[in-house]
Amino acid sequence: MINRRHFLTTVAVGTASAAALSACGSGSGSSGQTGSAAQPVTINYTWWGNDDRATRTRKAIELFESKNPDIKVNGNFTDFAGYWQKRATEAAGGGLPDVMQWDLSYLRDYGQRNQLLDLSTVKIDTSAFEKSLLPSGQIKGKTYGIPTSTNAFAVYYDPAKLAPLGIAEPDGSWTYKEFNDFLSQVGAKSNGALYGGTDYTGVWWMFNIWLRQNKIEAFTSEGKLGFSKDDLKKWWNLTAELRGTGAIIPEDRVTQLAPKSPFGSNATATEVTWDNFMAGYLGDSGAKELKLVPVPSDDPNNLGLFLKPSMLMVASAKTKFKDAAARFIDFMVNDPEVGQIFKTSRGVPASKTQRDGTTFEGTDKLVVDYEKSIEKYLKDAPEPPIVGFGTLEASFKRIASDLNYGKLTIDGAADAWFKEAEDLIKQNA
Amino acid sequence: MTQSPTLSRRPASSTSPLPRKPRRRGADARAGYTFLLPWLLGFIALTVGPMISSLYLSFTNYNLFEPPKWIGLDNYTTLFQDERFLQSVGVTVGYVVFGTPLKLAAALAVAMLLNSKRRGQGFYRSAFYAPSLIGASVSIAIVWKAMFGDAGPVDQGLSFFGINLGGWVGNPAMTMPMFILLTVWQFGAPMVIFLAGLKQIPGELYEAASMDGAGPVRKFFNITWPMLSPVIFFNLLMETIHAFQIFASAYIISNGEGGPAGSTLFYTLYLYLRGFSDFRMGYASAMAWLLVVVVGIITLIFFRTSKSWVHYSGDSK
Repeated sequence: MINRRHFLTTVAVGTASAAALSACGSGSGSSGQTGSAAQPVTINYTWWGNDDRATRTRKAIELFESKNPDIKVNGNFTDFAGYWQKRATEAAGGGLPDVMQWDLSYLRDYGQRNQLLDLSTVKIDTSAFEKSLLPSGQIKGKTYGIPTSTNAFAVYYDPAKLAPLGIAEPDGSWTYKEFNDFLSQVGAKSNGALYGGTDYTGVWWMFNIWLRQNKIEAFTSEGKLGFSKDDLKKWWNLTAELRGTGAIIPEDRVTQLAPKSPFGSNATATEVTWDNFMAGYLGDSGAKELKLVPVPSDDPNNLGLFLKPSMLMVASAKTKFKDAAARFIDFMVNDPEVGQIFKTSRGVPASKTQRDGTTFEGTDKLVVDYEKSIEKYLKDAPEPPIVGFGTLEASFKRIASDLNYGKLTIDGAADAWFKEAEDLIKQNA
Repeated sequence: MTQSPTLSRRPASSTSPLPRKPRRRGADARAGYTFLLPWLLGFIALTVGPMISSLYLSFTNYNLFEPPKWIGLDNYTTLFQDERFLQSVGVTVGYVVFGTPLKLAAALAVAMLLNSKRRGQGFYRSAFYAPSLIGASVSIAIVWKAMFGDAGPVDQGLSFFGINLGGWVGNPAMTMPMFILLTVWQFGAPMVIFLAGLKQIPGELYEAASMDGAGPVRKFFNITWPMLSPVIFFNLLMETIHAFQIFASAYIISNGEGGPAGSTLFYTLYLYLRGFSDFRMGYASAMAWLLVVVVGIITLIFFRTSKSWVHYSGDSK
């Protein structure tokens, strides 16, 4: 936090220390230094997440250090939003951590701009990975990220909240209309004590799934938008009648509850999101059990679902400890004991060795079972989205939130997003 | 030829009782610069250098990773077509225009109360000054957010009086009043300066005014205000500049997004987001320079208009 504030104070008086930093940031030193048990090398590792993940990660790091006495791992974490601003600052200064947890949304920004190490040049075992999953970490023939785990979109619900309202548990075979009716029912029957859910049209990935259900590409292979403004308007119109009713939690409540989610705060009965949020939701809400069903679709044979790498492991292009970094990544994605530590909290382990070495029980089993149940609907994972996608995703969320606040009409919101998206694509062309 | 008398004075001075004065001045200067050197180096390396490079970057398209591309004035022209930029200007100007005078009024009012001798004066002074010491800190922003949140103390307190506003944090109409309250609450620093200023006003003036039958209002406008005007001017200038730079509290309270509905998208917050979230450092640099220019102009206007209302002792007025 202090670092960020520091930066701002400098920027605010009219400076961009970034440039100054980059000048002195280029470290020299032979690549691929190795350590010994007597003189271990120290690599930096950073991730985003909550306390739950921090505890698990520290356990994994300890295990790694005990098995690799020649390497010390210096771990560090922040929340998701702050994470990317911090990485941008470090990248500008040439000082990215050696190993990082990464998100698909930002893979192109950094990979294409030579900030990340091509992992095919180091020793990482990917033989236990699903072949269809690996391309999501690759750009133009180079491997920048190794998936730790997979996740898929799902609708969460809390059975204990539906029972007293006399609402039957959903089985996940629903159209958008049926899903909307379900949300409205929750709002109506609970007399405003509980909302149906968060406005799912504000979630980029759900929009992406809807596009796939309608056989529309989100982005073309040339890095342009694959859908039209009308598509986006149609999408935001899906919940037009629900906004301002008990079906959808009002935006001011969402803001109040942040950084916790409405579902985790027990304000809503459902949430449409990634299936690996289970552990976090259970921890936040204190619920006994949460269940998962597929997302709505108007075409029962095409749910538009796919397995996405929930996280990737990447290394900095400038790391001095390539071998140590590679060994740590290999350990984090393949070691069966690491799977046992994380269970499904990072998603379902992507490597078969790790999956097989992990016993999934209780709620973790629900997540694994859910991914099995949708197997037949799964389509290819999307390749890393366009450069600047992280920004687009954030502005999608922001503009949808303005829409819910009633600050924008659907037409105005679509115009606003397209203007930003086109500007960004032009900027990065 | 008119200059010759001045020139001829120089040798005359060397015959004065202090013949070595010029040389000692040089030595003094050297010593002075030596002591100044650490600061000077820091100033050049950490302020002037980055400022120049930021000025350069403001004419480029720079994404932090690749070398900057020169695009001339494009950043500056696109700024004014950027709705979020205009929104951030609106938010910031609103904050400066309403927050600063209120803060100064609070500071002056409390300073006048604390100026008179009474029991526990030292305690009150520290108590009122404390918030401004911790005010800019991250923790206070977090506390503030909790206080004004849904079912927080403020919401519950107001409900007690039958006012139901709900949480302020999520309500776009209430976030600005909340930020203004936060800044007003931190009036300690200008208050201390006002106190020092008030101490300088000779008590005889008030005594004389009392003899002439002046009430407290007349005393304030005819004695306190004009005598204090240089201090008021100083505080107004500093607090205005300060207000333009609000960042930390906005960043924390809005989760770094400037929400709800852009109501806390302060200028510096948007600048930061542009630079470090959107990787558009050139654009952010242009914003930074625009801020420098605007604050410069406002300062200039303050100085120009100050002649009509700021009185320094020894002025003919």
